[in-house]
Amino acid sequence: MSLGGRPRPQPDRDSAPWWEAVRRHELLVQECGDCGTLRFPPRAICGRCRSRRSAWAPVRGTGRVASWVVNHQVFLRAFADEVPYAVLHVRLDEADDLFMYGDLTGADPADVTPGMPVRAVFTDVDDDLTLVRWRPR
Amino acid sequence: MGLRDRAAIAGVGYTPFSKDSGVSTLTLAIDAILAALDDAGLGVDDVDALATHRVGDSTPPWVVAPALGVPEVHWYLDQFGGGSVSHAVIGQAAMAVAAGVARTVVCYRAINARSEFRMGGTGRGVAPVFDAQYQAPYGHFAPPQQFAMFTRAHMIKYGTTHEQLGAIAVTQRAHAAGNPRALKRDPITMEDYLASRWIAEPLRLLDCCLETDGACAVVVTSAERARDLAAPPVLISGAVWGGGDSLLSGQGGDFTVSEAARIAPRLYAMAGAGPEDVDVAELYDCFTYSVLVQLEDYGFCAKGEGGPYAASGATRLGGPLPVNTHGGFLSEGYVHGINHVAEAVAQLRGTAGDRQVRGAEVALSTAQPGYVLAGTSALILRADR
Ligand SMILES: [Zn+2]
Repeated sequence: MSLGGRPRPQPDRDSAPWWEAVRRHELLVQECGDCGTLRFPPRAICGRCRSRRSAWAPVRGTGRVASWVVNHQVFLRAFADEVPYAVLHVRLDEADDLFMYGDLTGADPADVTPGMPVRAVFTDVDDDLTLVRWRPR
Repeated sequence: MGLRDRAAIAGVGYTPFSKDSGVSTLTLAIDAILAALDDAGLGVDDVDALATHRVGDSTPPWVVAPALGVPEVHWYLDQFGGGSVSHAVIGQAAMAVAAGVARTVVCYRAINARSEFRMGGTGRGVAPVFDAQYQAPYGHFAPPQQFAMFTRAHMIKYGTTHEQLGAIAVTQRAHAAGNPRALKRDPITMEDYLASRWIAEPLRLLDCCLETDGACAVVVTSAERARDLAAPPVLISGAVWGGGDSLLSGQGGDFTVSEAARIAPRLYAMAGAGPEDVDVAELYDCFTYSVLVQLEDYGFCAKGEGGPYAASGATRLGGPLPVNTHGGFLSEGYVHGINHVAEAVAQLRGTAGDRQVRGAEVALSTAQPGYVLAGTSALILRADR
């Protein structure tokens, strides 16, 4: 199935390195250089200690389903062949307040359960875009 | 104390609600403003300030004012934002009046939310920028999808059920039967609710508000002056806008607590009232879930008990806390928040007809509880008697 018709992200000056890493099939978050807090989405400062020092840190790409939606209504034509499809809100294993969104792959939407363990997988949409999706593990 | 009882709502006005107004949002704004001024016994020559909010979908004050022939604008507000700032517009008008910056503010919201600009993005889409860039590529951007995610989290944590959500939809439809303005007045049953199609599971069609063309306006002036005007004044006793977390981005993390929990203590303190004093509540109902979570976060029941509370019948007319007496966005129509304020005014004037809450003296009216922009807003209104 082609994902090429989906809305394309418009990376900004904070998020461009994150999207470039996804392109390399690496899942990163920011790690505060002072207090060590992990954060996502990317920001220039730490919301906890206000430090501007940070480094990109790889995460394992594992997490658990915090919440999810099963889409039936087609809001965009690009998803007409995908309904019903599930979008997950995933709590990363590295921290309780670190979340990422993504669609479910490799399983039926009806089989999603609260807390279900999932793993990030990378789908190359085309030459410029890779998306993170989630598969049960 | 803050703004307590310093400003008042002196007039309300509506256009008809429809699926296709056939006119511009400028015309809708003009019609609602003129109706509100007429209700207050005022004219365009009395207006010196205008305030609205919009998300690129409506006509700003600096177009409406010259179109109406407002003699001189002393203050205006063109607030970016959707439902979460709906009540902040009126709160800021009260601030402008209390500060002496403006004397007569017309607050309005005018949208062709079905025929021109649909919130679901249908036909227009949503730019995948800011935090939306991490969601839109998965087709996650429309409000029912976002609120379905929050609803599911509440179901997981507290065991909230479909039937409890359904009770909200059924109750509000019953209320709309008493509202000639409502777009949907035919009763629905729990069976109808459970049989309605999925939009974004766990939300069904009947969990969703009605995309509506229409406008509504209210006139804000000083409490003192309002007492000399045509309609009984409704005092703005509490007006709060704030919050902090953007739950949309996942920062803050807990979808089961809305920003209403954060602003409620300040709101009640400003008004000198508590949840036990509220006679009628018009709670922002873009979806059934937003009512449920606000029942908790404004303190009408314990955290996690919003579902059982709604299902108990407590929010029906005749119950201890009638909620969305006009039918809300689910059944009256969706004008993005201001029609909740207008309904609260009718209740406090005692002019709500078949849906009147007898002896209503204190009303809570609320905005989208902070799930998309980082914050929410709300008003406590009081009858002046
Ligand atoms: Zn830090």
